[in-house]
Amino acid sequence: MDLKTYCCDGLESELIRGELLMKRIGRCIIVLLLILFSTTGCWNLKEPNQLAFFTGNGLDLTEDGKLEATVLIVTPAGIGGGQFSSGDKKKGYQVVSATGKNVSDAITNIQSKLSRHVFPGHRDIFLVGQRLADQGIGETIDPFLRNAHSDLRSLIYLVKDAKPEEIFSIEPFFDQFITTSLSDEQTAIGIKPYLAREFVIDVLSEGTQPLMPVVSLNPQNHYNFDGSAIFNKEDNVKLVGFLNKKETFYANWVKDRLSSHTLTSFINQGDGTISITLGSFKRHITVKEVDEEIHIDLRLSGKGTIIENSTNLDPSKGVDLKLIEDELEKITQKAIEKQIKMVQKKYKMDIYGFGESVHQQYPKQWKTIKHNWSEHFSQLHVSVNVDLTCNNPGQANWSIYP
Amino acid sequence: MKLTGTQIVWILATTEIVAMISLKITPTIQIAKQDAWLSMIAGGLIGLILAFLFVHLSTLHPNQTLIQFSQKLLGKGIGRLVALPFLVAWFILPAVLLRSFADFIHLILLDRTPVWIIMLLLTILMTYLTYSAGITGIGRFCEIVGPLIIFTLMISFILNIQDIEWHHLLPVYFDSGWVNILKGSLGPAFWFPGPFILLVIISFVQKPRKAFSKSLLGVVITIFMVLTATLMVLLILGPNLSAKIRFSYFVFVRNTDILDFIQNIDVFIMFIMVFGVVAQLSLYFFIASYEIANWFQMKNWRRNIFYGAPAICIIAILIPDETTIVSFDQFWTNVAFPVCGILIPLILWITTVIKQKSKT
Repeated sequence: MDLKTYCCDGLESELIRGELLMKRIGRCIIVLLLILFSTTGCWNLKEPNQLAFFTGNGLDLTEDGKLEATVLIVTPAGIGGGQFSSGDKKKGYQVVSATGKNVSDAITNIQSKLSRHVFPGHRDIFLVGQRLADQGIGETIDPFLRNAHSDLRSLIYLVKDAKPEEIFSIEPFFDQFITTSLSDEQTAIGIKPYLAREFVIDVLSEGTQPLMPVVSLNPQNHYNFDGSAIFNKEDNVKLVGFLNKKETFYANWVKDRLSSHTLTSFINQGDGTISITLGSFKRHITVKEVDEEIHIDLRLSGKGTIIENSTNLDPSKGVDLKLIEDELEKITQKAIEKQIKMVQKKYKMDIYGFGESVHQQYPKQWKTIKHNWSEHFSQLHVSVNVDLTCNNPGQANWSIYP
Repeated sequence: MKLTGTQIVWILATTEIVAMISLKITPTIQIAKQDAWLSMIAGGLIGLILAFLFVHLSTLHPNQTLIQFSQKLLGKGIGRLVALPFLVAWFILPAVLLRSFADFIHLILLDRTPVWIIMLLLTILMTYLTYSAGITGIGRFCEIVGPLIIFTLMISFILNIQDIEWHHLLPVYFDSGWVNILKGSLGPAFWFPGPFILLVIISFVQKPRKAFSKSLLGVVITIFMVLTATLMVLLILGPNLSAKIRFSYFVFVRNTDILDFIQNIDVFIMFIMVFGVVAQLSLYFFIASYEIANWFQMKNWRRNIFYGAPAICIIAILIPDETTIVSFDQFWTNVAFPVCGILIPLILWITTVIKQKSKT
């Protein structure tokens, strides 16, 4: 009797165990299926070979006033692996343009010329054509921020006397795409690269007017860094004027965006020219209120190495070095003062960000003057003080010849 | 079901940090501009006081959840009535959260996937986590993912240090003044201690003596992370730009670029966001199911899961658009939080004190 019950029990527990096992396997399968469906994401698949990556995006107006978008599209077949590609290498990029009612419409029209989905996530360069800039680019900013795939790290340039299309079509010297060259250009000449995000921040700011770097086409069909462009953000971010290369360096020094620059000037007392490469720039803005008028006290400093000396002065001598420094300081100070005056009178646009300094140092006063800051800026009293230190005479003292 | 002290810390941190970083930074910056970080500090202090009130009230009634002790204090009828707004809040909150997060994933990542599939997947995860082990499971989950979340966020801050521009924070105080700073602090203030979750989960803590220090530590960690995130967003994007972007922290992360080499780290942020949201959904859902069981005096709270989960999913699908979510958020800050977060707990606390006095 006991034995029989025991046997039955054993059989039963065996059965229950089997049932449990089946249940467990069933559960495992359900979980695995869930994992399969939820982690692979197959229904939302977009392989790179279904995308058209564009590294550059340009906007301009056509001659009859239509908005035209241009993109530089990477063609992977052309850039593919080194040793397998034979002599007849394809071009690594294509330039495509289309017009539209607004930016997205133009991009949609570009899409209709492409078999792959346009993808802006790897955009390096944003080009604005001069004709569009003359009309104002305020309305084109929205899609830049709204599109979730837009890359905010892009650099922005204005194209002077040319179309973005022509810049994109340039055969680059070093890189595969001209956009790569353009994104290294500002670092190479010693200016902090101006990101499109910073442009938007300037447009939205209270005091600063945007100052956008400019490229133009040279006769060799390559690009030139050609100074910078002044915009008026109060009036649909319209282009109002240009600064040349030298002025751009000074303006960026005042904006504290300069990393290296070479100054060359004629020294009367030494009867020759001297060139000095400057680095470690500093800028200090002090705002003062004198008789209810706002004064800006601008202090600039830089340290440098002499790289060319055709004067008869010896930079290793204290007296001569002082003379060189003083002379360079005087010349630079005059140039910067002149430039600020010019911008104040001609453009009335606060590209230097003095307004932001007033905002930070006199926040109460700023509330009343910010509404017509452009007027105040044009009347602003700015005193400039330049301090240059030449801490390295280079590998020689006297001028080598004679 | 029991919770350890460490689990309380991580439950608070995990569920609040992700939600606040993705939803509360932009609204605060819109009100307080470059002083949003001051708002976060002020909000944090208010949040700490609220957390203190919740925990204090909870420890006065050891091992009892809100609905249990409110019935005991005020009698069955009034006790239940008083707890009703909480139940509604705990049910609708996960639904709104589910919808906004699914919309976010739809916008950023899975643009060709129907929103309801994303919501369904999240609901399944939520149901599984809640059903399998209740609050203990949620506590363990938070213990694992909480440190991961903080680690990932820290990395995202460190990788952006090179782009910091201090002038974005200037001038401090003058532009907004204390009125706007305080106005901006209200939204985060109510969120820092969590939407009244402490009133329930403290009753599960093994050693109630530790509940104070541990839950305040959880809130402090949350405040620190949210404050740092706000500062970083302000320092990189500036107040004017970040006020215009819906998910400013996410845009901040996409900005990361180190030597053209470390880029697009937003993928990792998506991961921790999913972790945080699943923890949050499960926690609110567990509390809702558990408290409904207490309300009806049911023995098995798990039964509520079977209609609760579909209900949350359906409410989330039925929410028509962003406008509803925004108006819900306003309702939440202006009505639900002051009533459920301050008024009712205060009433309960005063009643408790009076009853204890009359006893002695």
